[in-house]
Amino acid sequence: MTEANVEAVHRKTRQRLLFTGIHLVLYFSFTLNWTSWGTALGTYVGDTWLTGSLLMFVLLILTFIALETVFLMMSRWGAR
Amino acid sequence: MMLRGYFRVVPSALLLLWSDLMFAAGALEGAAERQALNPIAIGMFLLFVALTLYVTWWASKATKTSSTFYNAGGQITGAQNGLAIAGDFMSAASFLGITGLMYVGGFDGLILSLGAFGAWPVFMFLFAKRVRNLGNFTFIDVISQRLDRDPIRLVTAFSTILIVIMYLIAQMVGAGTLIQLLFGLPYEWALLLVSVLVLAYVAFGGMLATTWVQIIKAALLLTGVTLIAGLLLADSGFSFSNLLGKAVVNHPKGEAILGAGAIFSDPVQILTIQVSMLFGTVGLPHILMRLFTVPDMRQAKLSSYYASLFIGYFYIALLVLGFGSIAYVAGSPEFFDGEGKLIGGSNMAAIHVASAMGGDLLTGFMSAVCFATILAVVAGLTLSGAAAISHDVYAEVLKKGKPDPKTELRLTRVSVFLIGLAAVSLGIIFQHENIAFIATIPMVVSASVTFPILFLSLFWSGFTTRGAMYGAGVGLVSSIVLIVLGPQVWVSVLGNGEPIFPYDYPALFTMPASVLVMVIVSLRDRSDRGAVDRENYARLLVRSEFGASETELAESGVAS
Repeated sequence: MTEANVEAVHRKTRQRLLFTGIHLVLYFSFTLNWTSWGTALGTYVGDTWLTGSLLMFVLLILTFIALETVFLMMSRWGAR
Repeated sequence: MMLRGYFRVVPSALLLLWSDLMFAAGALEGAAERQALNPIAIGMFLLFVALTLYVTWWASKATKTSSTFYNAGGQITGAQNGLAIAGDFMSAASFLGITGLMYVGGFDGLILSLGAFGAWPVFMFLFAKRVRNLGNFTFIDVISQRLDRDPIRLVTAFSTILIVIMYLIAQMVGAGTLIQLLFGLPYEWALLLVSVLVLAYVAFGGMLATTWVQIIKAALLLTGVTLIAGLLLADSGFSFSNLLGKAVVNHPKGEAILGAGAIFSDPVQILTIQVSMLFGTVGLPHILMRLFTVPDMRQAKLSSYYASLFIGYFYIALLVLGFGSIAYVAGSPEFFDGEGKLIGGSNMAAIHVASAMGGDLLTGFMSAVCFATILAVVAGLTLSGAAAISHDVYAEVLKKGKPDPKTELRLTRVSVFLIGLAAVSLGIIFQHENIAFIATIPMVVSASVTFPILFLSLFWSGFTTRGAMYGAGVGLVSSIVLIVLGPQVWVSVLGNGEPIFPYDYPALFTMPASVLVMVIVSLRDRSDRGAVDRENYARLLVRSEFGASETELAESGVAS
């Protein structure tokens, strides 16, 4: 295998593992809701009935989609 | 006081609801009394059946070879495949089970939504491109390019068939119960109907028909939840906060439903659910198989991305439906029987909220969508199981990759028939059994066997066949043993007082054990085959990432 190809594959592998790592940290952070460290998440947001826990759920889903979007864009730039 | 009775549930029964599989088991625990025939639901369902049978007839004309049978000729676009993956994954159980769990415990039900959604980014980052580039019809093609093909195909085909059969039993028992509830059909007739329709889709239309059935079903399901969520928000002045306020007033646990702890209290239990759902979903063979229906690696990545968008949207809509069911069902006496219990159990909360918002028309529509959902999921499973038998075992192991194409296609159709027959028979046999443990097995085995083998084959140069075989053995045996020692078998089936292993879903422990054994045995493997496995990694590395060999890349001037 040529140096250039090996380096390209390694770079992409690092990218894949980095994105997966970020995703897993965020994903498992949801468990905080069931621990004493996540007590603050039970408080209300402003004058609404929306709690930090509910907001976290929605934001996590949106963040995961944003991560995928960035990943796709980086792959496209890499291909160019 | 009366409401307190509505929400009184056994915590262990709630755990059964945590995934689409879990719903099937949970359905057994709920009241499964037959409902009166619902003509609107039946009419809408017949429309769906007519449309999908037409699609199957159209697809059958294009399904003449094994290739088109297994992967629809690789001509599905990324967006279509994304919707089909969503259709394969968003089951009736997700819709009914998660809404039901939120009806009971509010926020805690969302662990299932996040668990199910969290798998898709991992699917895209790690697998979508590399699996598509290295395989043809099944994920087993991918690993057998690197590892010793015969033993690894047999082991992974066995785990695939085990996952498919267990998943099917859970789906069929859940389907029989659900259809009995929604349509008033007898249990056995419901199973026969599901099986006959799925046989027609898969045996004649193969992957092409299955794909379009899943696409149609996903579109219907997304339309349904959008309608209900829209009506709920409209009735709350387009304020989600107002909806939450109504739910708090109606629920006996009050404000506690807006945060964690109403159902689950142990964070380790939450972790076990998250690990099982994420890594179990990523390793499901019928989901991985969908990556081969697109023409290239770019479309494979797009498939995964679109699937995420659709599934993410679905779970956010379920957030509205879940709290909406508390706000609009819990305070309405028409949804409760004489004893003060929710008609049909908590799994019916989603259907009741459809009824509260859209009357008989929306109830009929959502009931028909649930039935369509079952058909789409069972079709995907049946196809995956048939491919494991006819492609992975017969064509690749017995015929060494050179089967007679007509015989292979015939065997595939026979396999579809046999799987259908097994699904109906097992569904009837297990009708009155506690199948919670059967529903747990697919996710845990997938997380502990399929995921580690696929991940290490694609990302670790030192992985060998021997490591894979030992690790798969440890993953499989430890999964079964810990499920047997856990609450679902040790207490619920065998009648013991306390479980020896405290958690229902042991993937948090079995998956690391499996990976550890794979790594240690591979590191200590000094065999000739081990050396070949390591060399194969370097050989396949460029193809897995770029979709072409180094020579092909050099000729096209794309790299090096």
